[in-house]
Amino acid sequence: MIQLFGVSKRYGTFRDALADISFRVEPGEFVFLTGPSGAGKSTLLRLIFMEETPTAGQIIVNGRNIGVLPQGQIPYLRRTMGVVFQDFKLIARKTIFENIAFVQNVLGLPRVEQKRRAYQVLKRVGLHHLMNAFPDELSGGEQQRVAIARAIVNEPTLLLADEPTGNLDPVLAEEIMRLFVEINIRGTTVVVATHDLEMIRRTGKRTLILERGRLHDPDRLRESAPIVREAPFLPLH
Amino acid sequence: MPRPRYVFGEAWSIARTSPRQTAAAITLIALALYVPGLLALVSHNLSRLAVEETDPASVVLTLDPQTDPRAIAARLQADTRIRLVRIVSSDAALARFRRAYPDLGAALSDLKEAPFPPSIEVVLKPGAARTASREIAAAARVWPGIESAESEEEFSRRFRDAIHLVRDAGLFLGAVLTLAAVLSVASAVRLALDLHREEVGIMRLMGATESAIRAPFWLYATSEGLVGGGLALGLLYATYRFAANWLSRDPHPVLAVLWVGFLALPTQLLLPAAGAAAGLLGSLLSLGRRQTRRATRLA
Repeated sequence: MIQLFGVSKRYGTFRDALADISFRVEPGEFVFLTGPSGAGKSTLLRLIFMEETPTAGQIIVNGRNIGVLPQGQIPYLRRTMGVVFQDFKLIARKTIFENIAFVQNVLGLPRVEQKRRAYQVLKRVGLHHLMNAFPDELSGGEQQRVAIARAIVNEPTLLLADEPTGNLDPVLAEEIMRLFVEINIRGTTVVVATHDLEMIRRTGKRTLILERGRLHDPDRLRESAPIVREAPFLPLH
Repeated sequence: MPRPRYVFGEAWSIARTSPRQTAAAITLIALALYVPGLLALVSHNLSRLAVEETDPASVVLTLDPQTDPRAIAARLQADTRIRLVRIVSSDAALARFRRAYPDLGAALSDLKEAPFPPSIEVVLKPGAARTASREIAAAARVWPGIESAESEEEFSRRFRDAIHLVRDAGLFLGAVLTLAAVLSVASAVRLALDLHREEVGIMRLMGATESAIRAPFWLYATSEGLVGGGLALGLLYATYRFAANWLSRDPHPVLAVLWVGFLALPTQLLLPAAGAAAGLLGSLLSLGRRQTRRATRLA
């Protein structure tokens, strides 16, 4: 699903945000990306969803080398991914339905079909009764659930989340993480960047550790893997 | 390609979120097109006077109303360089004016006496020297009963030059003001883009194509230009109606000529079209690929 080969990202002349990163995420896998603030987690996700370009190395997403992807093809590849941010990034002047149905709207999908799909995903996150509300009228947890609904409405094969629980209290954070697990169980590859080690431990998924732009010793990852195999979360219905 | 419904919806939304900038850009476009439009209207009306005739006069002698035009005509006919001498009475001059400006017929019919003095028009032979008209006019000026004698060639040239000057001034002012309008639209679009910076970034991340992101801004700016051009046309028509009404109540022999008729339909349509083009150009200037990407990059 995702393959990185010797990927580096340098800002300016001296600052290496990422250095020689190589790893692979299999289809259907759930992977955590962790590390302290400034370790390069967000940069790595930005490289994967092509908001940034690597200084060196190659990135393959969904079998396509994104380094050689023509600019005009990027939106189409992005439609196969969903992205969730810490600050939700919902469009304030649009209703929840309009936020979720945006891409379908651009593509000219009939409004009835847009509504059907939006209703389905909102039902999955338990917010189908708020289709006509505006983001400002929702709590932080609800807004993040809307952001997740928006990310999965196109049935993406890959879901990327950048500190999705960073603005939420522990109870809401756990609720959001359950949603990710459930989405993963349905077949979507999920990559979540977080520095919440407790959450990672309880979820029991594969974890990639970044430190100062470098991927942590893979042997340590393998050693730590059995400790976090158990997944205490139950998927939502 | 983004669907029209989406593009129109987003363009309307952009206009609603920055009403002041939208109003300012529309006003500037309207003013930018109103000024050259006004000059075009004046030159359009003046041009009627310069319509080519089959036997254009080379010299025009304006007579004292008490003078016998036949005596003057007989004196002129003695000149071998002259092919034709035409006596134009006050009534004939008025009739000719009515033919040139049928729109002013009602106003002229209210006049108690003919506003034009009698005149004599002199047509030269084809082989006459270039200086002949000036020489004849100069000679006639000292004759009794002659109020004025003008070499028509010179007058025609000056008159046409004046019309061209008005037109050129209109074009120059139009070009300068339109450039200002284009830059104003470009700023309005850039400001609108800045107001929507975050959501454009979100749209991009959600897989919106560049055309889907830019098309609403293009439409927004083009519509601004179209509305501005329409407003300029409306203002111009209001000015014309006001001037025409005012002159019908209080006729003025010179000013009336400038407000006889309104612009022809193709010229009228040119104003909104020019506004739309200015709007589109402004948006293209402010929505370069690099500019939008830089302006909307998410933190």
